[in-house]
Amino acid sequence: MKTRDKSLIVTITLAGAFAGSMGACASTAPEQLVEARNAYAVSSGGLAAKLTPTELYDAKNALDRADKEFADHGDTYECRDYAYIAERKVELADAKARTEADRAVIAEAVKAGVVVRDAQVKSSQAALARTREQLKDERQDNTTTTNALRATNNAQGQELDKTAAQLAAEKQARETAEASLAGAMKDLAAVAAVKEDARGMIITLSGSVLFVSNKYALLNTAMTKLDQVAEALKAQGSDKRMVVEGHTDSQGSDKINQPLSLNRATAVRDYLVSRGVPSEKISAVGMGSSKPIADNLTPENRANNRRVEIIIGSSTLSAR
Amino acid sequence: MNTRMISLAALALLTMAGCASVQIPADQLERSEASIRGAEETGAEGVPAAKLHLQLAKDQTESAKKMAANGNDRAVLVLARAESDGELALVLAREVAVHSSALQATEDLKAVHARGTP
Repeated sequence: MKTRDKSLIVTITLAGAFAGSMGACASTAPEQLVEARNAYAVSSGGLAAKLTPTELYDAKNALDRADKEFADHGDTYECRDYAYIAERKVELADAKARTEADRAVIAEAVKAGVVVRDAQVKSSQAALARTREQLKDERQDNTTTTNALRATNNAQGQELDKTAAQLAAEKQARETAEASLAGAMKDLAAVAAVKEDARGMIITLSGSVLFVSNKYALLNTAMTKLDQVAEALKAQGSDKRMVVEGHTDSQGSDKINQPLSLNRATAVRDYLVSRGVPSEKISAVGMGSSKPIADNLTPENRANNRRVEIIIGSSTLSAR
Repeated sequence: MNTRMISLAALALLTMAGCASVQIPADQLERSEASIRGAEETGAEGVPAAKLHLQLAKDQTESAKKMAANGNDRAVLVLARAESDGELALVLAREVAVHSSALQATEDLKAVHARGTP
């Protein structure tokens, strides 16, 4: 029994040792180790190799220990634990690498943002400077324009003042002329009959106060009256045409009356010209007895028909 | 008889060895617990992948302590596993935060460009 026991113990021990030895040599790598190796293989060819080599190196150390443990003792818990740790360290290296990449993105974005903002600020400053220059130019232009407008305004003001003065003078002159005309017409009314008809203003002077019967030489009293008529005619203005018409009664023949009426009209016209009435504005015509203003039956009517009419404003002037 | 005596002595030694606690390095335990705290402070609880490793780190730290108390030599390696999980949880949580910042920075840059390139 003792021998058998001893033999049994030895047998079991050897069998165990053999089994353990066989397990270490022949067993396939545990899943954790395989996964750790794969993870490391992937990571060492990726971003971590470039950005986090130190962390990847730590993972490699853990993986090497797991491999060594597996090679030396097979699938032990040490092997699995080191493989576990190796895989975590690989994941950590990858995560840190991704984080570094993100940090690089942030740094690049910040840098690019600063560049763009700097450019924008410079652009804005340039635009501001241009605007200031434009405002300065516009201000200068405005000043120039304002000065020019002021000068124009002053000139126009002076022109207006001048025009106003002229108008006032003209008004004054017109008022003076009108007053003079009114006075002259008033004086005229005292020596002659004045009326208006389609031909214009008619000033009628009786032939008996102007001439001796059958003569055309003016009486002295006629000259006094014609002086007033001349003043009235001059007061009418230089733009009006005037005609002196001589009329006779029907006593005597036309052969006598026609030249008599013309001579009388001419005598009156010449006297008026001598008193300042423009000669080019006044003419004389003889009407004879052709235009009586009353019948020639009574001495009074015939006296009325013997007359000289001065027509102002007539457009039917006849040559002398 | 001699054989029995030798076997008993060996068994007694093995029993004594098994009952003796294992001293795990204080600095290693400290590193493991620090990685756990760091991961928690970085927000690992809010990141699914980080949360998983954080939990593994906590569980394995506790296991390592128990193993050490029971004299299990493996306690040291289990604590190393816990430390690697804690560090990974922290890095994963930080990665998410940095990635979010990177996306935001890219969007900000687009917005700057959109405001007008001179």
